[in-house]
Amino acid sequence: MTDAVYLESLSKTYDGTVVALDGVTAAFAAGSFTAVMGPSGSGKSTLLQCAAGLDRPTAGRVVIDGTELTATSDTEMTKFRRLRVGFVFQDYNLLPSLTVEQNVVLPVRLAGRRPDRRRVKEIIDQLGLGDRRHATPEKLSGGQRQRVAVARALITEPAVIFADEPTGALDMRSAREVLALLRTAVHQYGRTVVMVTHDPLAAAHADAVLFLADGRLAGSLRAPTVDAVAERLAHLGDTTRGIGALA
Amino acid sequence: MISVALRNLRHRPGGFVATFLSAFLGATLLMAFASLLDTSRGADSASASSLATTAGVGGGWCLVIVAFAVTSTLSLAVRQRADQITLLHRVGAARRQLRRMIVGESAAVALIASAVAVPAGLALGRVLLQLLRNTGQAAESIDYAFGPIALSVGFGVTLLGALIAGIAAARRTTTPQGLGFSLGDPPSARRRPRARRLFAALFLLIGANCAVLTATLMDGKGIDAMQTAGQAGIWAAIGLALLAPELLRLVTAVLAVPVRAIGGVAGELALLTVHSRARQLASAVMPVLIFTGVATGTVYMQAIENKAAAGQVEPDYAQDIKTLNYVVVGMITLFVAIMLINTLIAATARRRQEFAQQRLAGATRGQLLAMVALEGLLVTVTGALGGTAAAMFTILPFGAARADRIWPESTPAAYLTILAIAVALTAAAMLGATRRTVRGPATAAVHAG
Repeated sequence: MTDAVYLESLSKTYDGTVVALDGVTAAFAAGSFTAVMGPSGSGKSTLLQCAAGLDRPTAGRVVIDGTELTATSDTEMTKFRRLRVGFVFQDYNLLPSLTVEQNVVLPVRLAGRRPDRRRVKEIIDQLGLGDRRHATPEKLSGGQRQRVAVARALITEPAVIFADEPTGALDMRSAREVLALLRTAVHQYGRTVVMVTHDPLAAAHADAVLFLADGRLAGSLRAPTVDAVAERLAHLGDTTRGIGALA
Repeated sequence: MISVALRNLRHRPGGFVATFLSAFLGATLLMAFASLLDTSRGADSASASSLATTAGVGGGWCLVIVAFAVTSTLSLAVRQRADQITLLHRVGAARRQLRRMIVGESAAVALIASAVAVPAGLALGRVLLQLLRNTGQAAESIDYAFGPIALSVGFGVTLLGALIAGIAAARRTTTPQGLGFSLGDPPSARRRPRARRLFAALFLLIGANCAVLTATLMDGKGIDAMQTAGQAGIWAAIGLALLAPELLRLVTAVLAVPVRAIGGVAGELALLTVHSRARQLASAVMPVLIFTGVATGTVYMQAIENKAAAGQVEPDYAQDIKTLNYVVVGMITLFVAIMLINTLIAATARRRQEFAQQRLAGATRGQLLAMVALEGLLVTVTGALGGTAAAMFTILPFGAARADRIWPESTPAAYLTILAIAVALTAAAMLGATRRTVRGPATAAVHAG
């Protein structure tokens, strides 16, 4: 299997003193669903932002779908991102002035392409938003908003979807729905999902969990269960810091 | 709460710069003109009446502009701190205390600005007197005086204006809806459009009335027709400025097709912005409209007068008025520049989060700048069209009354210059602020709001 995302010795230092990432090397296979976990301050959000090209690492390389992201300018990065990388954020990041449908097709429109109407309808229907397509985000529940965000991330058939605490602002039921959608995207449509979360319940939906502590990899877990994840998290400080590359 | 107000001023002076500047400029001009009244007390009667005319016309103008500029800069300064005010409310500040804080801040800014304006007003007053002496409207022997009238008018008007503006801003910000909205959200409650439209209609009617009076009653009265002609344009400009949201929507509807064609998706986003934030953008239309209207009206009125007066015997105050007209245009340009830049920078900075979201959705910085540029285009076109319409209230009837020809003979050079200034000001403020706002990574901006 090829890697959808490959991170090589990724480091990020803020203001020259605060080390958020300290030489992380990891690979995320195409068609996999990986959760990245760690206590707050462990660098998991920084990892996601650097991997997604939203922030620049201080050192190291990011390769997405065979293209090195770290070597390009901000504008080039944006252009690459909007077609090859999907995003789901904790706070949805939907534009309030756009309708559900307009939000979903925005990345395609920004890339100067004409959205495929049939496919847009298909995705919106699949995510159960068929009757809300002309509503603005403020009229939707949190769960519905996050489903719009998932639809937006899926529309360009990206090489990888990054999700930053996608269930952080949702109630349990909506959270489970969104996680099920992400699983479907991976297992039925072959997408790759990398999800940062601090919630063992959410992480248990993934195929594998990668643990981070103090900006370094601190092990991994395959076929995670809620209990196993919680157990590992609780003892994260005790484990010897291994270099857990994920195949 | 007064101590909180003073701490705010000491530690976050940036938010008050625009208010301070407009209050300072206003106070300076008011003091300068009012000092002519102080001066006139020791003058012969001919000089005294010339001084009084200058003080009255110039001072009256300043009053209007100061009120407008101080109100708009102050309410923006307060609105920008809505988060801080909500926060204070949450930790237990009562609404009354918040109001006292806001009003206290305004009063303090006005006081400081007036005090700093004293030497500036004194110097400008001397220059004005020298101008009047040079044109022979004031006797050389008159001594310049800067006395109680200058001080009381300067301090009084500035302080009063700031207090009224402060009270109005405080009332608006501390309504239950104003305080209830979540941090960072703009208040979505629409302000009474009916009252606004009613006032707009009223001002337009007054403007039309002045225009009709100019063309009928003032026909053949020579330069005196300027009194009503000048007013006509000002009233019309204020009336149309109040209709800015409607005008902006109208212009946008008409220009939608070309904007989409030029801008593609950036054009579409610009149209959406106008649709959903018409009121915020309309506040930028207002200064552009008033500037274009008053500047065009005044400059062409003077041009008509110059042509008509050639070879005729002019009343001795014609020279005063000519000087004054240009001073007025200069002043308005200055104030409009401050207001426009203040409004646009504040409005653009508020959109930090929106820009960041668009970038996360895949918009490049270039696309965002294109979007803002197109919004700016719509704002400028609306302001320029409205201003031109308002200027007609002055130019057409004055031409009819003074030169017996409705359309002036003058070249369009001055008009084009005025439009160029409007475009340059809007573009510089909007694009400059946007460029600054989209600097740095988008992820941080989304959360910073």
